[in-house]
Amino acid sequence: MSFADQLPIVLSSLNTGFLQTFRLFVITLAGALPLGLLLAMAEMSHLRGLRAIIKTLVWIVRGSPLMIQLLIIFYFPGLVFKTPLWSSGESGRFAAASVAFIINYACYFCEIFRGGIQGIPVGQDEAGLVLGMKPLQIFFRVKLLQVVKAILPPMSNEIITLIKDTSLARIIALQEIIWAGQSFLKGSQGISGAIWPLFFTGIYYLAATGILTLLFSRAEKKLSYFR
Amino acid sequence: MAILEVQNIRKSFGSTQVLDGISFSMEKGDVLSVIGSSGSGKTTLLRCLNFLEKPDSGIIRVNGETLLDASSGASESSRSIRLKRLHFGLVFQSFNLFPQYTALQNVMLAEKLLAGEQPDWKKRKAERIREIEEHARNLLADMGLQDRMNNYPHQLSGGQCQRVAIARALALNPDILCFDEPTSALDPELTGEVLRVIRGLADRSTTMIIVTHEMAFARDVASHVLFMDNGVICEEGTPEEVFNHPKQERTRQFLSHYSD
Repeated sequence: MSFADQLPIVLSSLNTGFLQTFRLFVITLAGALPLGLLLAMAEMSHLRGLRAIIKTLVWIVRGSPLMIQLLIIFYFPGLVFKTPLWSSGESGRFAAASVAFIINYACYFCEIFRGGIQGIPVGQDEAGLVLGMKPLQIFFRVKLLQVVKAILPPMSNEIITLIKDTSLARIIALQEIIWAGQSFLKGSQGISGAIWPLFFTGIYYLAATGILTLLFSRAEKKLSYFR
Repeated sequence: MAILEVQNIRKSFGSTQVLDGISFSMEKGDVLSVIGSSGSGKTTLLRCLNFLEKPDSGIIRVNGETLLDASSGASESSRSIRLKRLHFGLVFQSFNLFPQYTALQNVMLAEKLLAGEQPDWKKRKAERIREIEEHARNLLADMGLQDRMNNYPHQLSGGQCQRVAIARALALNPDILCFDEPTSALDPELTGEVLRVIRGLADRSTTMIIVTHEMAFARDVASHVLFMDNGVICEEGTPEEVFNHPKQERTRQFLSHYSD
């Protein structure tokens, strides 16, 4: 098969794979951003026990490889409790991967949020309080935008790392883009021993991170109107 | 009737007694200067009046209404504390403007949020916002900031920021406006414009409590002066009495640092 014949087959496969990569990326953000904020709130609460629990969770999740977490979350329920939590096939793998990624990234986001919130001068709270504002009003109307501005750079780091980390889901055979590219190495759809599809996957990642970089620098610019 | 009555306020942080039985009262239109060395409890007193700190004991009354009786022990809802705060305004040493809002938006924000709690808000929203903006514009113009209303805090000088902060505190029409060292964070050349504004408020009989290290100003603007030392009121009286004829040795000692 000539390269010209192979190309559409490979691209279609990589597109399908990238769609799965992108879905995992989006669902992780959608889950981990709010969960991270919740964890950050809990970590700043007055309840010592709650704080200790969150700190332990963050330590375990950030302290162990995401790949192990993926394997444990995917295999543990079926092997230990003999009741598979995840349905068989791609949808089950995707669900397990989503849970692992959301928990993992929520713990990183939690620390970024906490740093951002605690970095706002206490005078902002006090100014709001003496003006008769409610704590929630102070958070949403006064502090939130300042927090967002402060955490954009570390967030852009994490989010760019996330798009590449999705490839770890390959370990539970999620059919994301690396899986798709690798399949032509072993042989798939009449193509085997081809290394170039793997190089092509790199182009997808570069394009995705390029777009993210642009979006973040635009957001930073947008928030540069205040200091 | 006194507009403000403070009885026997005590406050300690850990083993440090910061306020050790503070009592005083003010009439409407009084300007009270509070002087004293750092750590004498001046700022803590203002923070207690604004419910940023809870006194261990003591009573605070405004217009005869008891806002705080620390000995009663009843815990209060956050809403009632929030509304009690509105009797007082507080201007901070470090301004604490909201950086993402313009001068005008800084002044409007709290009044808008309070108006939003009124039952007629939905029906009269556009009209109320117009009124609030008009009010804010007038306050800023009073502060000499008519051409700075749409600037963000980082585009303003320290003196301009502090004047925005004063307008913001005035927007809610507090009974008593408190200043916590309003010029201590400013270059000497910028303190004048802020002091002139405060003097203007005094001329219009705004009831104010001013904690300051500007002795000449404290003496000049005040109707009454408190000298605090170690958490107690060491001496009080008219500016003439406290500055020209201090009775306490400690007062004389403190004032001698400013005599040149």
